[in-house]
Amino acid sequence: MPIVGAFCVNQDKGRCIAYEEPWKCGICTMVCPQKVYSRNEQGQVEIVNDFNCVGCRICVDSCPSEALHVKPAEPEMFTRHIWNSGTVESIHYKAETGEYMLRGLGTMGPPTPHFDSMVVVPSQISSVSPKDKYREECDMTVVIGEDTAKYPVKLQVPIIIAAMSFGALSFEAKMSFARGVALTGSMGNTGEGGLLPEEPWIAHGYDKINGEKKYDPGGSFAIQWSTGRWGVSVDYLRAGDAVEVKIGQGAKPGMGGHLLGKKVTPEVAKIRGIPVGTDALSPCRYYDVCEFDDLKHQVDIIRDLTDYKVPILMKLGPSRPYKDVQKCVEAGADAISIDGMVGGTGCSPEVVTNGVGIPTIACVTEAVRALKDMKVHHKVKLFALGGIRNGLDAYKAMAIGADGVGFGAAAEIALGCRTCMSCHTGQCRYGIATGKAELRYFLDPNEGGRRIANFISATAEEIKILTMLSGHSETRSLTKEDIRALDLNTAAICGIKLIGMEDYWPEYWRKIEGGK
Amino acid sequence: MVDIDAKGKDFKAVSQAVKDAVAKGAPVVIKNAVGLYGLGAGQKSSKIKIVGDTGDYIGIVNAGGEIVVEGSVHNFVGDNMNSGKIVVTGSAGYGAGMYPYGGILYIKGDAGDFTATMNKGATIVIGGNVGDEVGTYMTAGKLIVLGNAGKDLGNYFIRGTIYLGGTAKRLGHNVKLVELCKEDIVELKKILDDAGFKFDVTKLKKYMPETEKPFYEHKKPTKEAGTCR
Repeated sequence: MPIVGAFCVNQDKGRCIAYEEPWKCGICTMVCPQKVYSRNEQGQVEIVNDFNCVGCRICVDSCPSEALHVKPAEPEMFTRHIWNSGTVESIHYKAETGEYMLRGLGTMGPPTPHFDSMVVVPSQISSVSPKDKYREECDMTVVIGEDTAKYPVKLQVPIIIAAMSFGALSFEAKMSFARGVALTGSMGNTGEGGLLPEEPWIAHGYDKINGEKKYDPGGSFAIQWSTGRWGVSVDYLRAGDAVEVKIGQGAKPGMGGHLLGKKVTPEVAKIRGIPVGTDALSPCRYYDVCEFDDLKHQVDIIRDLTDYKVPILMKLGPSRPYKDVQKCVEAGADAISIDGMVGGTGCSPEVVTNGVGIPTIACVTEAVRALKDMKVHHKVKLFALGGIRNGLDAYKAMAIGADGVGFGAAAEIALGCRTCMSCHTGQCRYGIATGKAELRYFLDPNEGGRRIANFISATAEEIKILTMLSGHSETRSLTKEDIRALDLNTAAICGIKLIGMEDYWPEYWRKIEGGK
Repeated sequence: MVDIDAKGKDFKAVSQAVKDAVAKGAPVVIKNAVGLYGLGAGQKSSKIKIVGDTGDYIGIVNAGGEIVVEGSVHNFVGDNMNSGKIVVTGSAGYGAGMYPYGGILYIKGDAGDFTATMNKGATIVIGGNVGDEVGTYMTAGKLIVLGNAGKDLGNYFIRGTIYLGGTAKRLGHNVKLVELCKEDIVELKKILDDAGFKFDVTKLKKYMPETEKPFYEHKKPTKEAGTCR
């Protein structure tokens, strides 16, 4: 027996045929298996048993005048569990079209463990006193490749922009990110769609190619070496301040970049070297890497091609973080970005986005444990990506042991995105994820750059507040002692103390963390 | 001419020696380079000759250099080449000529699986036979194989041309046979003569992609994507 009163049934009497013209229509009274509708003595259709409704919506489907509406009174996740309206409709969609669902953005649906199940522990009398956010300094800089590269990357804030390609994003969006990066001293990224010549210049703070320095303090710019290798040449590799080797990404680990034909405009086609309107589906792996040693050799070659000047970053999807991170260190990475399953994308099959990978908090925890076991924690920098929304998430990631965080979806939202999940169609109303000139018109790179810069600096301030109120004057000294878990799952996954308990739980973490 | 004996040296040392020699503008000859990877990486105008067999990633991201290998190469020769010329007098292993945007790669002997995968504009000539999955997802350029090919030749390639002298065990998806035209014959003759191949070009079979859009784009829904509210 379904839950009684789980759905509200609404009849638009102005539209209902059987209400205006008694004894006519009445289809709903015939089709409803739960006898929700009935005719009264005058022959009009009325809702008589709305608490009987189970939410099948057969009446809605059958009503010729669209007079009926069925809305859940409780979340359908509770009243119908797995057979909720979304599940039913997605099966209908596949049955009608023979196609699986593609969409943009990150994991939805049943909640996965996230930073929300943690709280920050402030300083009081028994610990170090809090620092004064308004009148004292807080060191938030992150240096990548200090010992290995001739020109290490110096970030003013522990925040980077995740790799998003030209093609997935519009020219204006890429320029906005570059300006935002320049205004905050953060780091941008080409993504895998080739290099826009202006991008590194603007990210460094110049107004145009060979122009004047306009934006302070000037940021850094990473070049991505990816599985599709779009637009890659030796000059491309040398154009930035770091080279990022992409292994995978959170939204679709085990698959390559997806850029559907609708977004392959003549400009995108030219920079990638493909026909206009074809799908650019990058390979899932490096075709030119058969075994781990090959990847190591590629990293050696990239270092040599860039004359040992720039650090090498690696981007990992959420799979087996402990071993994957150790392999990255072995391959010679100076910084590792680990992307949790919550991470977003411009296009991915829905089943992959929703159900593949492990959540960000689990990735970061295991990645940190790997770095600590290799004795390179805080030497090889770790960036947490995937569902980071604000300074609070960033603080928690850094307390677990990351050196910084990356914004992907949040940065796009800062540009104006309303998360309609239709990035793959190229119909972005805000000119962010589109190639169409008439839509790109809505995004002004100067205004966009200002918004990104504002968002990054406000987030950095949030990180600063939290860092200082927990008694630290630099972000790198945060530890797991600065956060607590709200539930047992989070305590067990992340090895942090449960609220109200001054001990680690379970035994596994007590052994690792308890002795220190 | 600068001679480099690579015996007992690692990648970094040999690469530094090559850089020094190239800075002087001298042609380079590298000997005893068996198992060394990445030789001639990212060269812009230099001439490099490698005597004897050598390892992986020879001429990776080549940007105009001329590299001659008098012997065989291991995997991934001419990886991500953008321009220039690479000649291998022996055979090549797995994945020769992957991801190249331009330039020309000659392999006189055989080549392995996944040769010319994601070729984006280079001309790749194989004198002997090739393995499976050759020319996968080519987006431009030419692949000329004078010998036989394995399974799935040109799988899901979307642009460019594949010429095959022998037979393929199985053609890939999205591959169709077309007639050789006069212009092709003139062009092919020039390409093959340049490297001293003796082959009757009229015997080559020409393959082109059926469509430029073999993935999501050409698959249209059978009915307008409608759901019942």
